[in-house]
Amino acid sequence: MSKTIKYHVRNPDIVFREEFDDWAILFDPDTGNVFGLNPTGALAWKMLDGTTSVKEIAEAMMRLFSNVPEEAPAEIMQFIDELVERGYVGQDVTTP
Amino acid sequence: MTPPKSQVMRSPRTVDLAVTNRCNLRCTYCSHFSSASEAERDLPIDEWLHFFEELNRCAVMNVTLQGGEPFCRPDLPELIDGIVENRMRFSILSNGTLITDDAAAHLAGTGRCTSVQVSIDGPTPRVHDSFRGTGTFDQAVNGIGHLRDHEIPVAVRVTIHRQNVDHLDEIARFLLEDLGLPSFSTNAASHFGLCREHTEAVQLTVADRTQAMETLVRLKQEYGNRISATAGPLAEAERWAEMERARLEGMDRLPGGGSLTGCGCTTSKIAVRADGVIVPCILISHIELGQIGRTALQDIWTYHPDLNKLRRRQEIPLEQFAFCRGCDYIKFCTGNCPALAYTTLGDVYHPSPDACLRRFIAAGGRLPEVIL
Ligand code: SF4
Ligand code: SF4
Repeated sequence: MSKTIKYHVRNPDIVFREEFDDWAILFDPDTGNVFGLNPTGALAWKMLDGTTSVKEIAEAMMRLFSNVPEEAPAEIMQFIDELVERGYVGQDVTTP
Repeated sequence: MTPPKSQVMRSPRTVDLAVTNRCNLRCTYCSHFSSASEAERDLPIDEWLHFFEELNRCAVMNVTLQGGEPFCRPDLPELIDGIVENRMRFSILSNGTLITDDAAAHLAGTGRCTSVQVSIDGPTPRVHDSFRGTGTFDQAVNGIGHLRDHEIPVAVRVTIHRQNVDHLDEIARFLLEDLGLPSFSTNAASHFGLCREHTEAVQLTVADRTQAMETLVRLKQEYGNRISATAGPLAEAERWAEMERARLEGMDRLPGGGSLTGCGCTTSKIAVRADGVIVPCILISHIELGQIGRTALQDIWTYHPDLNKLRRRQEIPLEQFAFCRGCDYIKFCTGNCPALAYTTLGDVYHPSPDACLRRFIAAGGRLPEVIL
């Protein structure tokens, strides 16, 4: 049986704002809620384009940031799940 | 000129938009008419809508619609729809007199209206209408009613002047008890626009300011902090009391004290006049940074030398001004609002004499005992 891969895509109604240095926020104009992103979160957001898998995002993190801990992929998944829960990200399940 | 070291956001978070030059009233102390923000024409809707797309690309979160009177624009609903389509929220500053049930229903339907600020200056038509015109109190209170019927947050602003300074208790009672608003804010008729032609009749004297401070500080306590201010007597009382306590306690410095840090708006906000000219702030409308549709907002925000110079205002030490020499408050003072300094002295790069504690005390002013 082939493995399912989840792809995630940004909700286009959510505003992504880079504010200072590499820190960013997500802004939901319907609620006025703001969600802070650290530099890794900001990079992950940019990669949620519906064609990049969580594994690929984690690999990109390892390449771009020093001292990325072992548990990074799990943390990224947790972060993305939170975004899905908030409605900031949608997911697509593909079985190749 | 390069941006200052302090934290300037990558793009503005909030943009103040004077969407019209027109107003159905001519309040005696209006800051708009007879000032540099009074533009010669109103920008057509297409140009605004186009600009909203640019604001979307810059990830602007909020716009504040002001004027003149925004509800004078018959196409205001279309403008608001353009704001919504471009992922922003909005607030409106209004005199309240033209807000109908339909207008309020449209605002509510967007789900994006953060608040509508309505000016109420008295507890009765006699006091409110004295500088705003006959019938305006009833119309504004009606407008507030329509907004509340549609559950839009109403932010009432009371402008304090010589005709209502003796009625602050009744104003608080009217707004917080009779109307049952959660809160309201205050400022004072300042030396902007039309007010400059009516200073004597309108602006608070030193004795009035002393009285207003005392009353507002007491009312704020009595009403459990439901009264606020970022300018005017209440804000001054709070800021000046902090400075006086710091002096009495021999403190070394207060945060931001000792230089012209009084305005931090230029790190997160910018404004557009009714004719589409981009300016640092509606009250500093004489500094023209570009025209919407012609100069990219992002370029102005990052590179415009006049804007970056204004941001560096906060690096100017108060010691360099003859005006401040020998002042005991110098390490605690921020020099206050550049727009006020400009309207009084013609120079944004100077402390505002109107907000000077030393001058206030020398002229016989007193701070409320209870907060010292
Ligand atoms: S203060 Fe406001 S309501 Fe009064 S004339 Fe000026 S813009 Fe119009
Ligand atoms: S003279 Fe006035 S503006 Fe200057 S430091 Fe003293 S209180 Fe502030």
